[in-house]
Amino acid sequence: MNKKVWKMIAVMAILSMAIVACKPAATPTAAPVVQPTAAVVEPTKPMAGAIDCTGVTAGDEISMLYQWSGTEEAALNAILKPLVDACGIVIKPESTRDQALLDTKVQAGTPPDIAFWNVTQLIQYQDKLQPMDVLGANANNYASFFTDPGTINGKWLGLPVKADIKTIIWYSPVVFEAKGYTVPTTWDELDALVEKMVANGDVPWSMGMESGDATGWTGSDFIQDILLVQQGPKYVNDLMTGAVPYNDAGVVKAYETYGKWAMDPKYTVGGAQGTLSTGFLDAIYKVFSDPPEAMMVKQSGFAGGEVAKQYTDLVYGTDFDFFPVPGAQGLQGGADWMMAFNDTPAVRALVAYLSSELGGANWAKATFDLSPNKGANGNYVDPSLIKKGAALAETKGFTSDIGDTIPGGFGSAEWTAIVSYVNGGNLADALAAAAKVQAEALK
Amino acid sequence: MASNDSQVPAIMRQGKIAPWLYLLPALLVMTAFIVYPGLNTFLLSFRNNANTGWAGDNCVAGQTCWGIFENFHYALTSEIMLTAFLNNLKWIVFMVTGTVILGLLIAVLADRVKYEPIAKAIIFLPMAISFVGAGVIWKFMYNFGTGETQIGILNAVVVALGGKPVSWLTEPQINTFMLIIVGVWMWTGFCMTILAAAIKGVSTEILEAARVDGATEWMVFIRIMIPQILPTITVVMTTMVINVLKIFDIVYVMTGGNYGTEVIANRMYKEMYSSFNTGRAAAIAIVLILVIVPAMIFNIRRFREQESMR
Amino acid sequence: MKTQKIKNWLRGLSPHVILIIVCALWLLPTFGLLVTSFRPVQDINETGWWKILDAPKGEKEYNTYCAECHGKDGKLIAEADLSNPELVQKYRRSFTLIVLLKKEIDGKPHLGELEVPDENISANIATYMRRISGIESRPRFTLSNYIDALVGYRGNTTYKEDCAAGTQAVDLFCDTRDLGNARGMGRAFLNSLLVAIPSTILPILFAAFAAYAFSWMDFKGRQWLFALLVGLQVVPLQMTLIPISRLYAQLGLNGTFLGIWLFHTGFGLPYAIYLMRNFLGSLPREIFESAYLDGASSWTAFYQLAIPLSLPAIASLGIFQFLWIWNDLLVALVFLGGEHPVLTYQIGNMVTSLGSGWHLLTAAAFISMALPMIVFLSLQKFFVRGMLAGSVKG
Repeated sequence: MNKKVWKMIAVMAILSMAIVACKPAATPTAAPVVQPTAAVVEPTKPMAGAIDCTGVTAGDEISMLYQWSGTEEAALNAILKPLVDACGIVIKPESTRDQALLDTKVQAGTPPDIAFWNVTQLIQYQDKLQPMDVLGANANNYASFFTDPGTINGKWLGLPVKADIKTIIWYSPVVFEAKGYTVPTTWDELDALVEKMVANGDVPWSMGMESGDATGWTGSDFIQDILLVQQGPKYVNDLMTGAVPYNDAGVVKAYETYGKWAMDPKYTVGGAQGTLSTGFLDAIYKVFSDPPEAMMVKQSGFAGGEVAKQYTDLVYGTDFDFFPVPGAQGLQGGADWMMAFNDTPAVRALVAYLSSELGGANWAKATFDLSPNKGANGNYVDPSLIKKGAALAETKGFTSDIGDTIPGGFGSAEWTAIVSYVNGGNLADALAAAAKVQAEALK
Repeated sequence: MASNDSQVPAIMRQGKIAPWLYLLPALLVMTAFIVYPGLNTFLLSFRNNANTGWAGDNCVAGQTCWGIFENFHYALTSEIMLTAFLNNLKWIVFMVTGTVILGLLIAVLADRVKYEPIAKAIIFLPMAISFVGAGVIWKFMYNFGTGETQIGILNAVVVALGGKPVSWLTEPQINTFMLIIVGVWMWTGFCMTILAAAIKGVSTEILEAARVDGATEWMVFIRIMIPQILPTITVVMTTMVINVLKIFDIVYVMTGGNYGTEVIANRMYKEMYSSFNTGRAAAIAIVLILVIVPAMIFNIRRFREQESMR
Repeated sequence: MKTQKIKNWLRGLSPHVILIIVCALWLLPTFGLLVTSFRPVQDINETGWWKILDAPKGEKEYNTYCAECHGKDGKLIAEADLSNPELVQKYRRSFTLIVLLKKEIDGKPHLGELEVPDENISANIATYMRRISGIESRPRFTLSNYIDALVGYRGNTTYKEDCAAGTQAVDLFCDTRDLGNARGMGRAFLNSLLVAIPSTILPILFAAFAAYAFSWMDFKGRQWLFALLVGLQVVPLQMTLIPISRLYAQLGLNGTFLGIWLFHTGFGLPYAIYLMRNFLGSLPREIFESAYLDGASSWTAFYQLAIPLSLPAIASLGIFQFLWIWNDLLVALVFLGGEHPVLTYQIGNMVTSLGSGWHLLTAAAFISMALPMIVFLSLQKFFVRGMLAGSVKG
């Protein structure tokens, strides 16, 4: 019997090694992206109108790393398909939310050609990235507040590809109507509305911020919006450069404004414990459940899509909608940045395509959040994206996330401060700890 | 130390080269994959965060500075690391005893029943679930509902008994224990499997002889079974201590180290990949390696004893 | 006399009681996940899995407040037909329904003598009305999570709905061919096997050699080397990724199966040697002594005595090494990446970066668990009493 087992194991081992040996590593069969049909490809000649394939040979590869998966990855594939078809580029994608992968690859000297990630990564890898203007990106298609955060030490390293606005509040118009609430237009009106809701026995906010190791980010978004209302965009910029320490009186005030709501069960679902332990997606659902547990949720633009998935009978515009945070001076937004580690013809074609008007238009049509590219304007098909796109096109100011912009783990220090404050910790201590990280990072 | 080289049995003298031939493949692979990265980590622990100079660069003016040991200053004295040490200690005490005792109990009890394979498979099951699955499971066990209905079974039971729902993962007094329960649930199957194999090796004759002599089952267990499988228990405990020191997934997925549940390995991961503080991460890793030294010494003693007895 | 009997009976019973209670506790979380994996995602967020067999939400309230006039199926009053989706559409949520219930009909209260229900009750009634009118008719059980996980479905509804509507992704066929789809679990299953089998066999083989030398051969520095080995177990995997990637980049091993086999071998070895050394070291000395007296070489003693005798240890090692590799994501991500996706990689990517689509994980967990459970059950036969004794005599 023992011999049999060993034989079996040996056969299995040889077999599995043989299967691998039969598969030449160069065969790109496993790349999970729609590949071009050879017939369509006419290399080196610019094709399909705006798509420029100069220098690209059919079969050229672009390795890519991004955090998107599921429906997001499907949308990205749809956006890239015209380029892939026109130039015969083969995309080799890798998708993960684990930050370890990109860092490992960069440090090992084998970075992907293209990565889509945060400003944090732009700063961290600034010496290894190829400038976007050198790669042929069209800066004219972007507002300066979109190219500025991607410009590190004078070099334009990140192309903003996907944006979402954060300074908005989601609510249910039918519920507001049934209960006699009106959309506020100033911060004082919002404050009065909140108090009115409490007096009526309704819970105004759903503020859940649980998000695994990123717990706290909905809180930091909210606080930054409060800062935009109370102090304005310049103050927020000063926080990012370190001119204002993170435990400044203005920040303390914003935290206290936030804390008044986030820690009290009268103002938010479940009080402090509800805020801490409710997942950010669940927090969105609570405003649109029946009966609604809360009246409003301050969440980025993506929230609408999540509501539609959970409550399939709800209609955008009547059952769920959003209004801008009243009184906020400018918008807070997040963007995903494309960065290039290698300069190849295929990479140049990709950069040129995504920064072209066609690229912006295709991004808008794919319903994959907003595109910072001006070519997106007028090309959105989803009604909520049309409204968000209009808000973005009209805004005068746009600030990025403070936590993304300051390197050295400030983002997670900011979250830690919020979590510990809401969990009953001393505010001054929590902010001092974050300010220390801010100072270390910006020294 | 119980023995020295002169007491080595004759049969163990196999020439000078033969042993190294047996060891060669393992040593080669381990040198490349563990020793080399380990030394690399050791070096990094004295470097600054961008690996462009020595660790002293990380010092902030006006604060205590340990010079080239600055990364260890952080790894050994920062508040979050002290929390992590305390939590890892809790993990070691409760998870190691929990898994070993439960594993032993189940192994012994299952040995006597007809449905042994089923019982063992049930306990083993959590080991087979990938962590993405386990994360979803426990998210629902511990769910804290703010509304009318509870979709987490634990809070549903609490509410049914007339209590108020508890936010299991954020209450600083209980959350680490809630995570440890997940750990025990996942790892008891490991202890059980190894211990069960050892129990099967205990000779039936001795056990029967003791029973005939009128020993109670408890006596048989304590006086005969335990001493016979003690070496295996030590192996399982050592392995569990090491696993628990490295515990990462559960904390990373369920709380991310928030609400005072931080552990050493999660802190290391965060410093490394979220904050890009490579030097600090390396120092934490070195501290982790140093913590294991007592277990190494303990194991050597034990093996010497084992060899002198056989 | 009788009490003695009962005592004995109790004593015989207690192992069963303890064992069954422990097993039930252990099974509960997994059982919950199993039930959940058969539910539509919207239900999962609304009610606990143990409520799956309860009457449909709102049925009781509907019967109390509405059934008398509108009938059980809602069709009794023709001008207020509650099975008509167009009518119910207007009152499908509690806040609009309450307004209606408060209104008078022909000068009489809508609900007659009944008091107008509160928000929660109205919400339940509304839920039930959505159900009977077909606005929101979800099945109680569904296989969708399994199907979607198997084909790696990416969309906002389900694979079946997309296929029925003809809106599936361009590379899907809506038949069994989709099981081999690049995003699905079929191909990833093969990749996982290709990673796991050699990565299980190699370290056990090398560990057997080394453990034999550690336990039955004498050489200088033996104890010292062994202590180092115990310590090596604690080197955190996360710290080795970068140096090894750098090494692999030079050797061209990144993204190859050989690379990941070697990595898992390296990381599996310290524990494997440790366990094997413990097992081999506890074998009785006489066996080896008599073998050498018969003129056996060390190789014969290793191959014909040590290996067969340590099969139980090898089996348990094999189970765990296989499991760890099967369930590993990080190493596969770094050293194999997206080109040869393994199961864990594919499963992880069913969820978007915001976390939606997680309900597919419930089904995926069970699909990926099947093979390790089979391995465990099939290796159980190595853990039988007397195996050791039998082989020694034979």
